[in-house]
Amino acid sequence: MIDIKNLNKGYMLGEEYLPILKNINFHVDEGEFVAILGPSGSGKTTFMNVIGCMDISDSGEYYLDGLSIHEMPEEQLTEIRNKEIGFIFQNYQLISTYTVLQNIIMPLLMRGMDHRSAEEQCMETIKLLGIDHRLDHKPSELSGGQKQRVSIARAMAGNPAILLADEPTGALDTNSGKEVLKLFQELNAMGHTIVMITHDLKVAQSAKRICKIVDGRLSEYSVR
Amino acid sequence: MRISELFRLVYLNLSQNKFKVILTSIGIVVGTATIMMVIAIGTGGKQDVAEQFKNLNAGAIDISYESTNSSSSSGNSGGGFPGGGGGGFPGRSSGGGFSGGMAGGGFPRGGFPGGSGADDRINQEDVSLTEDDMDDLQVFVPGLSDATISFSTKADCDGGELEDTTSFTIAGVKDNYATLSNMTLSMGEFLTEENETNKEKVCVLGYNTALEIFGSGYDAYDGTVYIDDRPYTVSGVLEEMGTVSSGISPDEAIFIPYATGVKYLTGDEVSPTITLIAEDVNNVDTIKSYVTDVLLDSYPNSEFTITDAGSKMEAAMASNDTLTMLLIAMAVIVFIVGGIGIMNVLFVSVKERTNEIGILKALGCKQSDILKEFVFEASCISLIGALMGVMIALGITPIIERFSVTVVLSVSGAIISLLFGVLTGTIFGFYPAYKASKLIPIVALNQE
Repeated sequence: MIDIKNLNKGYMLGEEYLPILKNINFHVDEGEFVAILGPSGSGKTTFMNVIGCMDISDSGEYYLDGLSIHEMPEEQLTEIRNKEIGFIFQNYQLISTYTVLQNIIMPLLMRGMDHRSAEEQCMETIKLLGIDHRLDHKPSELSGGQKQRVSIARAMAGNPAILLADEPTGALDTNSGKEVLKLFQELNAMGHTIVMITHDLKVAQSAKRICKIVDGRLSEYSVR
Repeated sequence: MRISELFRLVYLNLSQNKFKVILTSIGIVVGTATIMMVIAIGTGGKQDVAEQFKNLNAGAIDISYESTNSSSSSGNSGGGFPGGGGGGFPGRSSGGGFSGGMAGGGFPRGGFPGGSGADDRINQEDVSLTEDDMDDLQVFVPGLSDATISFSTKADCDGGELEDTTSFTIAGVKDNYATLSNMTLSMGEFLTEENETNKEKVCVLGYNTALEIFGSGYDAYDGTVYIDDRPYTVSGVLEEMGTVSSGISPDEAIFIPYATGVKYLTGDEVSPTITLIAEDVNNVDTIKSYVTDVLLDSYPNSEFTITDAGSKMEAAMASNDTLTMLLIAMAVIVFIVGGIGIMNVLFVSVKERTNEIGILKALGCKQSDILKEFVFEASCISLIGALMGVMIALGITPIIERFSVTVVLSVSGAIISLLFGVLTGTIFGFYPAYKASKLIPIVALNQE
């Protein structure tokens, strides 16, 4: 599913090159639930941006579902983001002016689908996540947990190859966080591949496999 | 993304920011209203010019004579000589053979001694153009289709419902005058060649004259008007012509046969205007030079005023075009200011919605779709502004008309204004939209 080889990524700080990700090798199989655990500043967000095709590596190879992501131009990466990756953000990243339903179906509309077909395709997921009674509400009218469910529904709407979650419980209270993690486990059990980035070991422990990233190196991992 | 879905998003964004949309579009509102009024006033101006010149034939060339020797006492307005002695140059007397001259009020004057150059002699004689001159011109000037001679004067009239003797403009004209001046009759017939030959006392009344003397055109027909105490039978009444730019105002005049006028009203003290009609409007200038040559043979010391209708129309049209250009320039400035306003607001909007753009890009929205969404938004804001502008233009038209400005609103004018409005907003909205589409996803996403 995901195969990353010798990946390096850094930024120029003035005239000095600052390496962030150092020679990373990473592999995720279909149906896995992997947590990438790392402290603040370890490079985990940069790593997520690269996995999510929002940023490109300086060197190395990245294959997603057999596609050579590291060789693709921006237009193709846009298409990959739309079709292969479902993003779940820490602060939900819902568009405040749209309703819950409009937020959820947005990835399908971007594929050229009409509003009604997109709505029909998403309805099962919406019911599964228990937000079908909130479809006409604006994000500001929802609780944190509900917002994250909407975010998950949006990520799943396009039936992507992987769900990529960045600190999905970071903005939630303990109970809502637990609910979301339980939901992830259920989705994984249904066959969805999930890569979750977190700084919290307890959150990471809900995944089947944990990788640790420290100082830009994905140096050790443990199989649970 | 489908166009319909893009428009749905545009509608969503605009409907939630109604006040901002109105404020943003104010420049376009003013610009559209201005351009619509410019078109309407420009068209009105052209219509005014056409209205004023409607009695003129485009190929018409008027020849008249104005003496600089103002001592003539002639009263007929065709020559335009002021009565009584004027301040002529000394050392000259009117040439023999011509009527008038110093006779009217001329008495010797002091002042500058003689000895002026040849130019001083120009137009010192009281020349009166005649039918013979007209015939000469018709013979010697090539490219003419028709010619006529006319004069106008003032005379006291009575009859009909008039309680007191009233002064009216009397026009002595040939039978072809009506055709050449594009005049139409509402009743009866125009003066005929027979009237002219027999010097009959018949007349054709202008629209207003008929109303004033008889109360209506119907009552006027076959009635009798007393001009200078002589009875004239009304053989026809003209249709209303309205204001005309020059020459005899048909609505206010009484037309009589030329020969009758000369016999009973003016005598030899007539200073008529000869009107020649060029076969080809493009040859007017050539004909004018021929006319000058022919008249120079007959009257070596006289300069005639030769004017052509085309030049007058061109001058009036050019003046109207200048005004229109000025208004267009104003409208363009307003549009540019309005467009910059839209651009500013859209830049602010892109800044405000950077995070939203980041989300859309993270979800895989194409650059072209983001560009389209923002351009459509600019177009829709402009369209709303342009529609409001058109409505304002419609609203202020009666106010402008109160200032005696002819405003001719038209559907095509409204459509052109709408197009200009939408085009301006779209063009100025493109750059902010382009900037939005080029935002880097992770940078945009992290912007609060």
